[in-house]
Amino acid sequence: MTTALSRASLGYLLRHPWQLALALLGICIGVAVMVAVDLAVESSRKAFELSMDTLTGAATHQVIGGPRGVSETLYTRLRVEHGIDRIAPVVEGRVEIGGTPVHLMGVDLFAERQFRVFSLDVENDPGSTDLDTEALFSRILTDPNAVLMSRQIAGKLGLGVNDRFEVRSAGGYFEGELLGIVGGDASASAGELIIVDIAVAQEWLGKAGWLSRIDVNIPQEDATLRHAIEASLPAGTQLLEASGRTQSLTEMSTAFMTNLSAMSLLALLVGLFLIYNSVSFAVLQRRGLIGVLRALGVTRQQIFTLILSEGVVLGLLGAIAGVMLGIWLGDYLLVLVSRSINDLYFRVSVTAVTVSPFSVAKGLLAGLGATLVSAAIPAIEAASYAPRLALSRSVIEQRSRRIVPLIALMGLCLGLLALLLLRVSGSNLVAGLSAVFLLILGFALCVPISVRVASAILAPLANRLGGTSARLAVSGIGANLSRTGVAIVALAVAVSATIGVSVMVESFRGSVSDWLDRTLQSDLYIAAPGGSLDAPLIAQLTGTAGVEAFSTSRRIWLESPEGRIRLIAIQLAAGRHPRLELLDAGPNEVWPAFEAGEVVLVSEPFAYRSGFVAGDSITLITNAGNREFLVGGTYRSYDVNAGAVLISRAAYDLFWDDPEIDSIGLFLAPDARADDVAERLRTTLQVHPQVVMRSNVEIRDLSLKVFDRTFIITDVLYWLATGVAFIGILGAMLALQMERARELAVLRALGMTPWQLGGMVTAQTATIGLLSGLAAVPLGLIMAWVLIDVINRRAFGWQMDIQVSWQVLAVAIGFSVGAALLAGIYPAWRAASSPPALAMREE
Amino acid sequence: MPLTRAILWIVAIILVAGVAVTRFLANSETVPAAGGVSQSSSRLAELLGSQRLEGFPLATAPRVFSFPQDHGPHSEYRNEWWYLTGNLDNQDGRRYGYELTIFRFSLVPAPPGESEKAPSSAWKTNQVYIAHFAVTDEADNKFYVAQKYSRGAMGLAGAQADPFKVWIDDWSIQENPDEVTNLPPEETWELTASGDGFSLMLNLASIKPAVLNGTAGLSQKSAQAGNASYYYSIPRLRSAGSLQIGDTEHSVTGLSWLDREWSSSALADDQQGWDWFALQLSDGSDLMFYNIRKTDGTQDRHSAGTFIFADGTSQHLDRDDVVLTVTDQWQSPQGAFYPARWNIELPDFDLRLSVSPVISNQELVTTVRYWEGAVDVVGRRGGQALTGRGYVELTGY
Repeated sequence: MTTALSRASLGYLLRHPWQLALALLGICIGVAVMVAVDLAVESSRKAFELSMDTLTGAATHQVIGGPRGVSETLYTRLRVEHGIDRIAPVVEGRVEIGGTPVHLMGVDLFAERQFRVFSLDVENDPGSTDLDTEALFSRILTDPNAVLMSRQIAGKLGLGVNDRFEVRSAGGYFEGELLGIVGGDASASAGELIIVDIAVAQEWLGKAGWLSRIDVNIPQEDATLRHAIEASLPAGTQLLEASGRTQSLTEMSTAFMTNLSAMSLLALLVGLFLIYNSVSFAVLQRRGLIGVLRALGVTRQQIFTLILSEGVVLGLLGAIAGVMLGIWLGDYLLVLVSRSINDLYFRVSVTAVTVSPFSVAKGLLAGLGATLVSAAIPAIEAASYAPRLALSRSVIEQRSRRIVPLIALMGLCLGLLALLLLRVSGSNLVAGLSAVFLLILGFALCVPISVRVASAILAPLANRLGGTSARLAVSGIGANLSRTGVAIVALAVAVSATIGVSVMVESFRGSVSDWLDRTLQSDLYIAAPGGSLDAPLIAQLTGTAGVEAFSTSRRIWLESPEGRIRLIAIQLAAGRHPRLELLDAGPNEVWPAFEAGEVVLVSEPFAYRSGFVAGDSITLITNAGNREFLVGGTYRSYDVNAGAVLISRAAYDLFWDDPEIDSIGLFLAPDARADDVAERLRTTLQVHPQVVMRSNVEIRDLSLKVFDRTFIITDVLYWLATGVAFIGILGAMLALQMERARELAVLRALGMTPWQLGGMVTAQTATIGLLSGLAAVPLGLIMAWVLIDVINRRAFGWQMDIQVSWQVLAVAIGFSVGAALLAGIYPAWRAASSPPALAMREE
Repeated sequence: MPLTRAILWIVAIILVAGVAVTRFLANSETVPAAGGVSQSSSRLAELLGSQRLEGFPLATAPRVFSFPQDHGPHSEYRNEWWYLTGNLDNQDGRRYGYELTIFRFSLVPAPPGESEKAPSSAWKTNQVYIAHFAVTDEADNKFYVAQKYSRGAMGLAGAQADPFKVWIDDWSIQENPDEVTNLPPEETWELTASGDGFSLMLNLASIKPAVLNGTAGLSQKSAQAGNASYYYSIPRLRSAGSLQIGDTEHSVTGLSWLDREWSSSALADDQQGWDWFALQLSDGSDLMFYNIRKTDGTQDRHSAGTFIFADGTSQHLDRDDVVLTVTDQWQSPQGAFYPARWNIELPDFDLRLSVSPVISNQELVTTVRYWEGAVDVVGRRGGQALTGRGYVELTGY
C-alpha cells in the first residue's frame, strides 16, 4: 500500500514538473540566502579573530602604557633587573606600501619565539632559497630594509622575494626589501601583517624609544609572576589580560556582524514564506487525488504520512541544493563583508569561505523544518476532509475564510507582544531583533484579512473601471485568499525590507553627513597619518599668510574598566567653539568649562554603552595613575570605535606626558583665497612627504565614500531578499492561475476572448502587486524605525533622525507592482492560449 | 683547546643562531638529533664557506694582553666567549658541577649606522648573545640545563671591561664591588644565573693569574694563517655561594675555571669536533688539553694544551706531549656515542691520569647538542698519587 501511495505521489510530481521545480527552487533559494549570509559573516568573524590571535600570539597578558606606548627601558628593566623573561616587545603601526595600508609589526626575534610562530615558507619559493635561514636571520637583524610578509599580502602587493619597494610611514619614506615569505600555520592568520625587526619598526614608525606594548606569557595564572610584573610597572603602565583587549575590539565588530545576521534572518523569513508557498501549493493542488485516495479507503494517517514523507524528501533535496548554492554565493558576500570590516575596524583578509558544519546544519534544518511545517498544515487539513469534500476547492477557501479573522487576531497579538518586548528589553540587541521578527510575523498575519477587505472594496471600483473581467480579477484575489494571501505577504515582506533598509541607510547617511558638516569646521586639515607633527612644522604651517586660527588634536587609546577608550585631546581655535551637537548640556556652559580643563565630554555611543551622563565622573589612566574626570556632557558622534572621550589640550598636557600632535585644523581668514593658502602650505609640506593635507570637503567626501561602501553589503542583501520574493510571487501566480485553469476555461467557453482573459489575469497580478506594495509601506516604515531606533542604537549607540523620502516609497510600490506584473506574464499568456476544452477536461 | 674549540664553537654559535632562527621560523620541536653531527658539519662547511669572514679582523699575530681590559668584549671579532665551569660541594659534602657560558658574536663586521631619516632605534645592533647554564647533581644523578638568546643592545645583553660585566637578561658574571681589593688576586667576581627550578649565585676570586694559551695567547687552529684565536684561561677561581635546586638552597664552595677566547676564524673542512679537558689537580697544578678530531677519525696535529704549575707558571703542550686514550663509551638518549672515560698521559711530566664523568648524562640538548660535564680524576705524578676534578667538553658527536 505504502509503495503504491509513494508511486502515486511520485507520479503526480513528475507529471507536474513545474510544481516540483518551483517547490525545490523555493526551498533551495530560501536556504541558500540564509547559508550564504551566515557563512560570509562567520568567515569574516573567524578571520578577524585569527588576525587578533596572530597579534596576540601566546600572550596571556600585555603591558600597556600611556599615549606613546611603553618606554623601551621598562622592557630591559623587567628582563635584566627582575629576571622576567616570558615577555616580548612589540612595536606596531600602519604603513603604506604602494598605496595599500598594511599592518607593520616590529618584533624581537629572540623574544618572539615564545609568542608567535612564523614559519618560513621556502618550498614554494625558489627565489628565497638563495638565502639560507641563518643568513636570513642575520639580515633581519642587521639590514635596515629587511621585511617578511605572508604570501597573501606579498601577492596582493605584487611583490616577490628580493623585490625592493617604498614604504610610506609616519617617519617618512623608507626602502623595504622583501627577504622572505612567512608561511606555514601562521600564514593564514598573518593576513595583512608585515613583519620587521623591532629596530626597523621603531625607525619607520618614528617610535624610537617606545614600544607599542610588551607581550607577556603568564602560565596558568602564575600569581607570583603576575604580581612581580605588576610590582615593577611604573605609574601610567598597566598589565592587562590579552583576551580582554582582543575582546573589546571583537565586541565592536560583533555589533556590525549582528546587524548582518539580522539581514540574513530577514532573508530567511522571506525564504520561509517562499517555502511555505511552494510546498503548500504542491499539496493543495492534489486535493483531487487525495479525495480519490480517501474514497479508495486510504486512512487519514496514511495520507498525512505520505504528505509529510514527501515533504522530507523535497525539503532534503531543496535544502542540500540550497546549501551548495549558499556556499557559492557566500564567496561573493564575503568580499563585501570583509571590506566593510576593513573600513570600519581592522584589516582582515579573508580569501575563502570557511564552511562551518554549524552553518550548514542550520541551513539544512531550517530548510527541512520550514518544508515540513509548510507541508504539515495542508496535510492536516487534507487528511481531515471527508473523502467527498476533499474534491472541492471551495471548501478550502471557505475554511480559510473562517480562520482569516482568527489569524489576524493572532497577528495583532504578536505585534503587541513585539512592542512590549521592545519596551522592557532595555538595550539588549537580541531582544530587539526578536521583536522585529515578531512584528513582521504579526503584520504578515494581518495581511490576509486586509487583502479580503481591500478586494471587497476594490471590486466595485474595478467593475466601474474595467467591467466584469476587472471585477472578477480583483474579487478573485479575495476569493482565493489561501493562495493570494501568502504570495502577497511574501512580496510585502520583501518590499518592506527594501523600504526599511533604504530609509535606515538614508537617515543614517543624512545624519552622518550633517555630523561631518558640524565636526569639520576648519577649512584645511593637516595630519601625519600614524605619526605626529613636530612643533616647528606646526609653527610654520599656522604662520602661513591667510591662516587666521588653528586647532590641534591628538588621539590616543586608553585602557579602562569600560574597555578601550579613544581619548581625543583638542585645542580649540581661539574664540571658536566647536559646533558639535551636545545632547544633554548647553554649549555656552560646557565649552568654557571644557577649555578650562574642568570637564571632559563623552561621545554618544560611549555614553549609551557605559551609562555616563553629565555630572558623572569617569576614571582614566594618566601618567600619574588613575584619575577621575568630571563628565560635562555627551556629544553626538558616529565614530565606530566604541568610546570616545574629548578632553582639552590643557588638561591633557597636565596629566599625560605627551607633547605630540596628530593633526591640526586651519581656519582661513575671511578675505584669504583658499587656493592660494593651500598652495603656500603645499610648498611648505613638500619636504614632509608623510604629512597629508586635506580640505574639509575632501574629508567629508572620503568619509561618505567609506560609509557608502559599508552599506553595499546591505544593498546586496535586500536585493537578494527581493529576488527571493520575486520567485515567490512568480510561483504563487503560476499556482493560482493553473489552479483556476478550469474556472478560466469556463469563462472562455462563456465567450471571453483570449485577450480579455489575459487582461484579467494581468489585472489580478497587478492588483496583487499593488496590495503588496501598499502593505509594505507601513511595515517598511516600522522596520526602518526599529532598525534606526532599536537595532542601530543597541548595536552601536548611535542615534539618528529618521528621514523618509517619498521616492523610496514610490520606488517600493512601483517595484512591487512591476515584480507582480512580470511574474504574471507567463500565467496570463498560458491562461489566454490554452484551449478551453482541454482545460475543462482536466478534471 | 684554542683552535679546535674556537673553530667548533664558531660553528656551534653560528649553528645556534641558525638553528634558532630555523626553529622559531619553522616551529619544529625537534633539534637535529641523531645524525646531527654529519649534518651539522656539512652545514657548517656551507655556512663558513666563503664571504662570511670578509670584513672581520683575523687573529694572525700574538698580541699584548692586558687586564682587566681583555676581560671585556672584542666586538670587532666575529665570536667570543666567557666560559665558566666549576666543581662545588655543599655543606654536607654533596657534589655538584656547573657551567655558565656566555657567547657573543657579530652578525656582520660593521655595527649598524645611524638612520638618516628617523631617530635611531636603540635596538639596532650587529651583536648577538647566547648563554647556556647547566648544573650537575651527582647524588640525584640529575642534570639541569637552561639557555638564553638576546641581541646585544638596549642593555638586554652585553659585555664591558671596566667595571667588568658580561650579562644576558639577569644572568651575569660581573665584578663584585664588595670584594674588590688591591691585593692579588685581582679578579673578584660574582656569578648569577637561574633556570627553571635551579639557580646559582657564586662569588669568584682568582687564586692563579690568567694563563695565555698557545703562543703567548695566540692559539692556532689549523695550518691556514689567521685560522686562530686569542685564548686565555684563569685556571683556578675560589668559588663560594649558594645553589638552589627545587626548593632547597645549598651553600656551596669549590673551584671554578674560566676560559676566554675570541676570533673570526672558521673550522676547517676536515675537522669534526673536539674533546676539551680542564683539570684541577690535588698537587696544585692544572692541565688544559684539547683534542681536535678530524672527520676521518684521526687526531688533528693542531691539538694542544697548557700545563699550569702550582705557582701559576705554565708550559705549552703539543699534540705529541699528550697521550689520550678513550677507555669507555656512553650512548646518549639522543643516540650519539660519546667517549665516557679516558686515560691521559704526559710522559715528560711523568703524569698519568684517569678521567671519568661524575654522572653519565651531562649532554646539553640545546639548539646545539654537546656534552659538557664535571669529571673526577685519579692518577699519579712521579711516585705520588693524586686526585683532581675538572670539566670535559665533547663536541661533534
